[in-house]
Amino acid sequence: MFVGRRMKRDLVTVPPGATLEEAARLLKGNRIHHLPVVEGKRLLGIVTDTDLRNATLRGAAGDGEGAPRTVGEVMTRDVVTLGPDDTIDDAMLILSRQRFGALPVVDGERLVGIVAKADVLAAVLETLDIEGIGVRLEVILPRDMGEVTRLSATLRELPVEVRSLVLAPHGKDRYAAFVRVATIDVPGVRKLLRGKGFTVAELSDFYEPG
Amino acid sequence: MAADGTQGWGPGGPLPERDIADGFDRLIAANRLFGAELNPSVLKKSGKGAPFLVRKPPSRTRMLALWWDLFGHRVDPGELLSRLSVEVRGMAHGDGHLLFGRDRILYDCQILQGNEAVGHLTLDLYRERERIVRFLPFPTRPGHRVVYIEGISLTRQSTGYASALFRRYERLFHDLGFHLFRLKASLSVGKYYWAKEGFDCSDRKQFQEMRDRLWDLVWRLDLPVAEQEVRRLVHMADVAAFRPDIQIPVWRDREGYYTLERDDAHPEEVLFPLGKAFLLGSSPWDGHKVIYTDTPRRTALVWSEKYLSHGTPAGHPEGQKRLTALREAIRREGLLASLIVTEPYLPGMEAVHAIHDPAYLESFREAVARGDRYFATRDCAIGAGSYEAALLAAGGVMAGIDAVFSGRSDNAFCAVRPPGHHAGRAAAMGFCFVNNVAVGAAYARSAYGIARVCILDWDAHHGNGTQNLFEEDPDTLFVSIHEHPSFCYPGTGRRMDRGKGAGAGATLNVPLLPRAGNREMIDAFEREVVPAIEAFRPDLILLSAGFDAHRDDPIADLECTEEAYVHMTRRVLALADKCCSGRVVSVLEGGYRVDSFVASALAHIRTLQGREDMPCSSAGG
Repeated sequence: MFVGRRMKRDLVTVPPGATLEEAARLLKGNRIHHLPVVEGKRLLGIVTDTDLRNATLRGAAGDGEGAPRTVGEVMTRDVVTLGPDDTIDDAMLILSRQRFGALPVVDGERLVGIVAKADVLAAVLETLDIEGIGVRLEVILPRDMGEVTRLSATLRELPVEVRSLVLAPHGKDRYAAFVRVATIDVPGVRKLLRGKGFTVAELSDFYEPG
Repeated sequence: MAADGTQGWGPGGPLPERDIADGFDRLIAANRLFGAELNPSVLKKSGKGAPFLVRKPPSRTRMLALWWDLFGHRVDPGELLSRLSVEVRGMAHGDGHLLFGRDRILYDCQILQGNEAVGHLTLDLYRERERIVRFLPFPTRPGHRVVYIEGISLTRQSTGYASALFRRYERLFHDLGFHLFRLKASLSVGKYYWAKEGFDCSDRKQFQEMRDRLWDLVWRLDLPVAEQEVRRLVHMADVAAFRPDIQIPVWRDREGYYTLERDDAHPEEVLFPLGKAFLLGSSPWDGHKVIYTDTPRRTALVWSEKYLSHGTPAGHPEGQKRLTALREAIRREGLLASLIVTEPYLPGMEAVHAIHDPAYLESFREAVARGDRYFATRDCAIGAGSYEAALLAAGGVMAGIDAVFSGRSDNAFCAVRPPGHHAGRAAAMGFCFVNNVAVGAAYARSAYGIARVCILDWDAHHGNGTQNLFEEDPDTLFVSIHEHPSFCYPGTGRRMDRGKGAGAGATLNVPLLPRAGNREMIDAFEREVVPAIEAFRPDLILLSAGFDAHRDDPIADLECTEEAYVHMTRRVLALADKCCSGRVVSVLEGGYRVDSFVASALAHIRTLQGREDMPCSSAGG
């Protein structure tokens, strides 16, 4: 999945000459934390609510002489950006490793969008169908595609709709299959799977350590 | 409402046998107590003569045994007699006496106005044994105490005397622990009068035939009445009050008997409102009225045989067995006589369309007609009767709401299926097709003009259908307490979902982690649910009462017992007393293990009745 599909395109931006107060109002009014700083469409930097707060604190601590007054003075110029053709995986890795809140998306020098952590989380929610009707089961399988095939064949025989199926590594030699099923009779499904020899985790395995 | 029991039946428990026996002696000496047996030759005729043959009183032991059986020694014979012959509207009882039969006591008297006898009254007090256990070797269960109104006749018409007298009697016999009035409504005015007084037809089939005849009449006279209006009549009182705006003629003979068709014997034409005219001209019927006995609140039970016609395949958790077992338990526990059994009706489609998309209902109807085995999703198994049963379930909630708003009952339990709280505007899921509580909420607004409705859903599964339907409505508070969506179907109902748009704040979700039991359930209920309802001040509380949070239930992972339901029911009643005159209409949702479901639902019903004698274990009887 590409960043171009997930990024926000209607952008709130600010010119470098804007005052800190103006920038703070924009952040607050739009309930966002990151403002790309642009000249025309060209991305110059990014300013966050933390940058603004730090600048204000510095100004209050000193005598006011030489304290920054414009966005251009406090913005980060060395911005990590993405292109529309980068993938959501890239975005997730950067956001997770560098602990950024949002990444501007540029086409050359031109700003075309922004991807925030929330947008990436929305993609994950959608993939796992967490907001849809259904319940997640966790099936532990040997690391063998034959078993995965057998699981999907078994699910096919059950009178339930599978909303999502995610296969994750579980230790060295096993998989954890997260199956989201749309039925009220989840204990019935669990029982059927166990009857076919599958290991289905108990509910408590999700929240009780050990 | 709590019976205030001010009639003087003291808290001291049963009277000593000596007092009762002395009472017998005094009455015998005063010629006011006799033995008696029924006189079959008079009973078969009507009117004249005494319906019994007077004999010497039976032995004191037998009289005491009978007295204990009927009154539990709450009253002595002299006091009973004086309370029965109370003066009402300037009319007194003369020559009142008690007659001891083999298994019953009769009260017989003249009705006097001044010194002139203007009428006659006979009451028959007995216990009704349960026929099913009668032939079994072990002791029979004590049956209902019944006041049979053998007859009341007045030569002077309608001073409102009978009505005033029976209101007194209802109170008196309530305090004496009697369960039912019975009578045969056979006199010319009796058929209308008793219906108006809240007597119901004892034989459901007879009532349905009467309803059919009413529809025939409407059709024959080409009256502006829809068939639906007739179909939804479920009580004689509704028939008596039916369409007073339409007057139709009936014909009267010289003795005051009416007929609906003119003939030579009935020359006089009179105009009456439709319902009244119909009843005046109809044939006799057997009537009964519940005297709200040892239950402080009057609870309606909505139930229909047709709820069993929603057939699901063997092994399906939402099976007919749930309701048949509940019905059997209600009968076995002797609750039936204290419940106001209410028949549901098929709702007009406009009432259902207020909640559901017509095209959705139509495709549901078609799926059933085609003989499909499920609708929309495999969970939603259907059979030939499913469409009608689903509509009748919504109509059951409407009938429960009618019972409460008309004052026939204080609250109601609607034992309906299929359940409803997962059903959305155009979505069937989780065994649900029509959202019964939602249809009820809309109906209560349109029919009774109330504004604020609270829907409390304590089924173990989140009521996603109900939430979706009302999440933008600030006048409907939806509160759901359920197993956490990360572990349990339908995977919705997170704490952060608090309503949308204008309805922000009018949705409250309280998820419980798996294995939560009574303590967690009750804590959360007290901490979050009670204050929310209190602050909202609803005009009506609807309960989505599922019983699948029980520890024995297979379809969820909570570990509650009946005690949690008893606690929550009590608190809901107290809240309703504060906000909305006690109006609570409870609607069955889930609960899938038959014994724990039945035990929980029974405990809930008993608590709705205001009883304090709650079971504490989950043993299913």
